[in-house]
Amino acid sequence: MPRYNWPLLPEILRTLFNRPITVQYPFGPLEMPERYRGRVDIQAEKCRGCGLCVRDCPASALELERVDKETFRLIYHPDRCAYCGQCEESCRFDSIYLTNDFVPGTPHRENLTTVLVDRKPEEGEESGGDDEPA
Amino acid sequence: MTRVTIPIGPQHPLLKEPLSFLLTVEGEEVMESVLRLGYVHRGIERLCQERTYVQNIPLIERVCGICSHVHTTTYCQGVEALSGLEVPPRGLYLRALMCEMERIHSHLLWLGVLSKNMGFDTIFMYAWRDREIVLDIMEELSGGRVSHAVNVVGGVRIDLDEEHARSILTRFDVLEQQVERALELIEYEPTLMARTQGVGILSPEQVRRYCVVGPVARASGVDIDLRRDLPRPPYDRLEFKVITHPAGDVWARTLVRVRETRESLHLCRQIIAQLPDGPTSVTAKRRVPEGEVVSRSEAPRGEVIYYIRSDDSDKPARLKIRTPTMTALITLPDQLRGATMADVPVVLSGVDLCIACADR
Ligand code: SF4
Ligand code: SF4
Repeated sequence: MPRYNWPLLPEILRTLFNRPITVQYPFGPLEMPERYRGRVDIQAEKCRGCGLCVRDCPASALELERVDKETFRLIYHPDRCAYCGQCEESCRFDSIYLTNDFVPGTPHRENLTTVLVDRKPEEGEESGGDDEPA
Repeated sequence: MTRVTIPIGPQHPLLKEPLSFLLTVEGEEVMESVLRLGYVHRGIERLCQERTYVQNIPLIERVCGICSHVHTTTYCQGVEALSGLEVPPRGLYLRALMCEMERIHSHLLWLGVLSKNMGFDTIFMYAWRDREIVLDIMEELSGGRVSHAVNVVGGVRIDLDEEHARSILTRFDVLEQQVERALELIEYEPTLMARTQGVGILSPEQVRRYCVVGPVARASGVDIDLRRDLPRPPYDRLEFKVITHPAGDVWARTLVRVRETRESLHLCRQIIAQLPDGPTSVTAKRRVPEGEVVSRSEAPRGEVIYYIRSDDSDKPARLKIRTPTMTALITLPDQLRGATMADVPVVLSGVDLCIACADR
């Protein structure tokens, strides 16, 4: 036997005057939690071009063009990335990491490709993180 | 009376995933149904043999879009058993915490889908609103709403500090209130009861014959739960009730699932309270010694089984997944026989369809 016939009524009355709880994206800000796994970035000066991240990436989203120890390029394809965080886990030099930037959809996937590290021997230093198509 | 054949699926507003049913009806009554599967077969088992144990974790996470964590947990358990690794207690507790939160999220999602399919959109909205609470917690902990990427072979990647635990516990209080309200609704809402009681009945004998597992089996009075029957740490140290109901219809399944949600909330609280100190993972070797293992866990939908055979390389030689949905799916022709057309959506949703899981 029903205890009362309108078990939903109190809940309806409670929520009637509430504001929407959904996020108003893209018209409002989109705040990602600190640990959100988003776009991959790198501290380019720490990278040794060892290729551990490339080997463990399940989605072939990382690519290493390596000439020798001092000349290599690490290329990142966000369109393939599964945001699994395995590269961060695999890197022994704490170089590659996942930011909490949300990567929105785009009809031009080739524009997403980023050169994370472009190491050349004479500079000895990095030039990282430019959004430069490969 | 003439018989008419009605196709449901592979594309149908009722189904969120491709599955095909050919229903033969006489008037309103379903006489026969033929089930066809395989539209979302992705060859995951074969693909796993091509990839390393490490690369398989994100792939296996994508077997199911709802209970992704329990799949990687079962896989990692298996690989750890093969390599003889001992996961630190803190890692096991955090794994279990994610598993239980996933159960809450899965059951609330299912409650929403069932209500939506029977045209009760109000419950759908409330269930999915409340589900956001756990989804937010899981996203804060792991960085993803459904693909958590928490497990690694040898432990977990995440950690939980005290302040965060406190904030989670306060949100659990809110969620618990909502779950209690949902329970009240299921026990006393006349519309919901009229639509679900006496529909899609499975007897305990049918459950045993088809090897049905999980909430569907428990709602037919079959008392099985791997968390209690094969207690792995930390479940051997946690207290919880295995919820069963003798009725065997969709209503009983609803009740069992929502009561289980409440139990899972208690489990989460206990896990957070008992969380041991120490490391969360140990380093695993890339190569796994030769051997074979069967790993089992209690997923939100029932028992999930992984069989892994290794051959002393860094890739599995064979990997076989038995998902719980498969067992429930093959009972559907039995459940549909004699149902009216209007009950078909309720029966179909009642077993908690997850086609992608079943097809792999
Ligand atoms: S997050 Fe995963 S998929 Fe993306 S680059 Fe890193 S390892 Fe590859
Ligand atoms: S990011 Fe790390 S793992 Fe990847 S190549 Fe550089 S040093 Fe090696």
